[in-house]
Amino acid sequence: MILILRLLRGAIPAALFGVSACAATPDLPALWSERVKCVVAVEYVTVTETERRPTVSMGTVVDAKGTIILQSVAIDPRAALWQLKEFKVYLPGEGDGKPAEYLGQDAFTGWHFVRAGDDTRTKLTPVTAFAGPTAPRKPVISEAVWGIGLRPKDEDFAPYILRSTVALVQAVPQLTAIAQQEVAAPGLPVFDAQGVLVGLAGPSGGQTFLQISRSGRPVPTMLINVEESSAFLVAGEVLPHVGRIPRDPSGRPLAWLGTYGLEPMDREVAKFLNLQAQSGAVVSEVLEGSPAETAGLKPRDIILALNGAPLPQLKPDRAVVAYLEREVERRIPGNKLALTVLRGTERVEVAVTLGDQPKLAREAERKFFDRLGFTAREPVYGDAVERRQRPGALAGVVAHFVKTGGPSATAGLRPDDWIREIDGTEVKDFAEATGRLGAIEGDKDRSEFVLLVARGSETAVLRVKLK
Amino acid sequence: MSRGFNRLLESVVSINVRELAFESGARRYTSSLGSGVLMSEDGIVLTNAHVVSRRAVEINVTLSNLERVGARLVGWDHWTDLAVLRLDLEEVKRRGFKLSAARFGESEKLFPGQEVFAVGTPHGLTRTVTRGIVSNTNRYFEDTRGIGGYETGMFNTWLQTDAAINPGNSGGPLVTSDGKVVGISSRGYLGANNLGFAIPASTARVVLERLVQDGVVVRSYVGIVPGALQDLENFYALALNTGVLVSSVDPGSPAAKAGLRPGDILLSIDGARVDGRFPEQLPPIQNLIASRPIGSELRFSVKRAAETREFTVVTERLESRVGEEWALEKWGLSVRRVSRTYARENQLEGNDGAVVIGVQPGFPGDVAGIARGDILLKVNQQAINALDVLKQAHAAYEASPAPTLIETQRNRRVSLLIIKP
Repeated sequence: MILILRLLRGAIPAALFGVSACAATPDLPALWSERVKCVVAVEYVTVTETERRPTVSMGTVVDAKGTIILQSVAIDPRAALWQLKEFKVYLPGEGDGKPAEYLGQDAFTGWHFVRAGDDTRTKLTPVTAFAGPTAPRKPVISEAVWGIGLRPKDEDFAPYILRSTVALVQAVPQLTAIAQQEVAAPGLPVFDAQGVLVGLAGPSGGQTFLQISRSGRPVPTMLINVEESSAFLVAGEVLPHVGRIPRDPSGRPLAWLGTYGLEPMDREVAKFLNLQAQSGAVVSEVLEGSPAETAGLKPRDIILALNGAPLPQLKPDRAVVAYLEREVERRIPGNKLALTVLRGTERVEVAVTLGDQPKLAREAERKFFDRLGFTAREPVYGDAVERRQRPGALAGVVAHFVKTGGPSATAGLRPDDWIREIDGTEVKDFAEATGRLGAIEGDKDRSEFVLLVARGSETAVLRVKLK
Repeated sequence: MSRGFNRLLESVVSINVRELAFESGARRYTSSLGSGVLMSEDGIVLTNAHVVSRRAVEINVTLSNLERVGARLVGWDHWTDLAVLRLDLEEVKRRGFKLSAARFGESEKLFPGQEVFAVGTPHGLTRTVTRGIVSNTNRYFEDTRGIGGYETGMFNTWLQTDAAINPGNSGGPLVTSDGKVVGISSRGYLGANNLGFAIPASTARVVLERLVQDGVVVRSYVGIVPGALQDLENFYALALNTGVLVSSVDPGSPAAKAGLRPGDILLSIDGARVDGRFPEQLPPIQNLIASRPIGSELRFSVKRAAETREFTVVTERLESRVGEEWALEKWGLSVRRVSRTYARENQLEGNDGAVVIGVQPGFPGDVAGIARGDILLKVNQQAINALDVLKQAHAAYEASPAPTLIETQRNRRVSLLIIKP
């Protein structure tokens, strides 16, 4: 069997074998040795003000160009693009990483895309080769599944097998299978007994344990396995989207609706409002200047339908919020979205033209002042929203990073403080602030300076001693 | 000891209080114990606000002759941690008790090192006298949640003493060797040795008078949070011993409306120079503003960057951060009205609503998904702009249980929930 497979590989495209070659008597070692070629470990370095932080996560190869997808949690959303450096791909069992390129994050799936270099890609097999000949395979309860895990870097990312049984398949809102035990490392594929792709492992759910000490009561503790997961998105939620490679590493364009705090409406409330079995989401706030505001959406509106289709009934109730968010994320700015909302007792149609997501904190300009011990960042729309400020007037700068033990930290500056004044004079914008902070930093005779910062609903005057 | 001291011992009482507690999602009673001192022959007892609060439902006072007499709350002021009771005079008369009143001494004249005595009921040990000295006459101590969630210490400084002050001493007098009351023992540092604090007689005298007369101390509010300049005066190019830093301005407050900003330096109020170099100088400045009648126009002279400007600030009535409380027992929820201060601290849009302070597990409120800290905004689509709205909806539910629609807010997220039988 192994011999046949090896011969076949040279002769025909990988996509042709899979179910057909192995349907009769699946030979797991043979399936394994082929499928292990569609997983890699990806390492990159996050360069911060004071350190270089390497991160490793597991990725799955999705096409013949060596494109690899990583889970959304693989990269800190606060990190700016320029902070992410030295992407490297490691083949399972190999200690040497080869350079790779970061392609950006897709808003809809949340996946980060990375591309392996030329020399590596020839050694890889895309996971699509194991998709099976027909529609994506949907796992069923009680079926046996298996997947791949990778040992840590100091063990050369040695691959190992994980096997389990499908225990539950549920829409949350994406169709997700829960296996009885861990079945793959998060980000790596899961296969059925014939070696056909059935899904992609996501972050593991937590398990609650009771921690019992000799004195005192048992304390519930949640444990999350970060190396292996028992939850996976079914293939039908994965395969149609593997081509969503961002046009630009920034991940833009990003569609924007502009609601804050969507909350699910539960069945009891629906019944009380005579909506019977209708699903819905309450809009807590409509953001200033957003497409939702322009379209006339109001706080406390209950969204009932999208483009004429009622929102699906999902369990848990929360899933309807994720559903709505994904409906926005799968679109691009300029797309239209028709919302049917309940306002008081009236049904109202709201036609929204999605906008472009305002600048994100990770995209904002920033500058680190080593001697002062903090990074000033240009304030963005989201800063204003978080602090309940009017997003129109974004004066001042935000303390993005405060060096522990540095002069500013000692004076009481904290990350996310909003600097309003420097030395008693109001800060107009980022350029002006960095000019003034640069002058203070450059003046070796300066022994102190004063910041006025806003934090929550309070402000404080901080005196920073430089000597 | 002196004759005055012996007479003082006769005026020290212990106080047993039974009070309502709402925190558990139901109406519960708790009991506590403290001390007090008789300040008049007609039965006025001075004690701490954290000994007898407005939730008290039964107050019993044990006199020096070990007999118990009922009492009622006359007034309460958490800002200075003082409360005033009046003994049931008919009972006193009927049982033929003779009341002996203590007298205030001059706390302004105390000096560090002077001998003082604390008298009270530490841990229930009645008429315990401990001895110490005045450790500091002007201690600054502020706490925004110090008295059962209420603010304290913004308008007065404290006497510090090393006379042992233990739980139960609260409300008892701190006296000089001649038996004059120079302070009301209030708090100690737990886990520290002999760091006790008392409200000075100079403050207690004024508050006592107000509480006896009006039942409350009405104060003016402008909404600035002052900060000590410490050695910032060089930075701001100020004359020595001038000015107080405006650390923060409450949004929507009179000061904010008048145009004051954080970082301003307040130089004078109505022409009188203010000096807030050190933290202990801040309470008198706050008190200067607070003691003006509500609606007063105060002229603030303020230094901002290089220029000096004048602002006119119209004072409002000072409010506590803790609103009225109630238990909606059928729902298993206890609630507290959102106060102006609470709304401001939590950046709420308005002052409507009630904060959930307790939930009984398994009761309809809990089952509906309401949690401690949630803000109830509407009930059956009616805005909760007074606790009565909630009380009425609850009473209607009690009379005939039916699904009730509640709009709640948790971290700015609005949810609709149903409370059902």
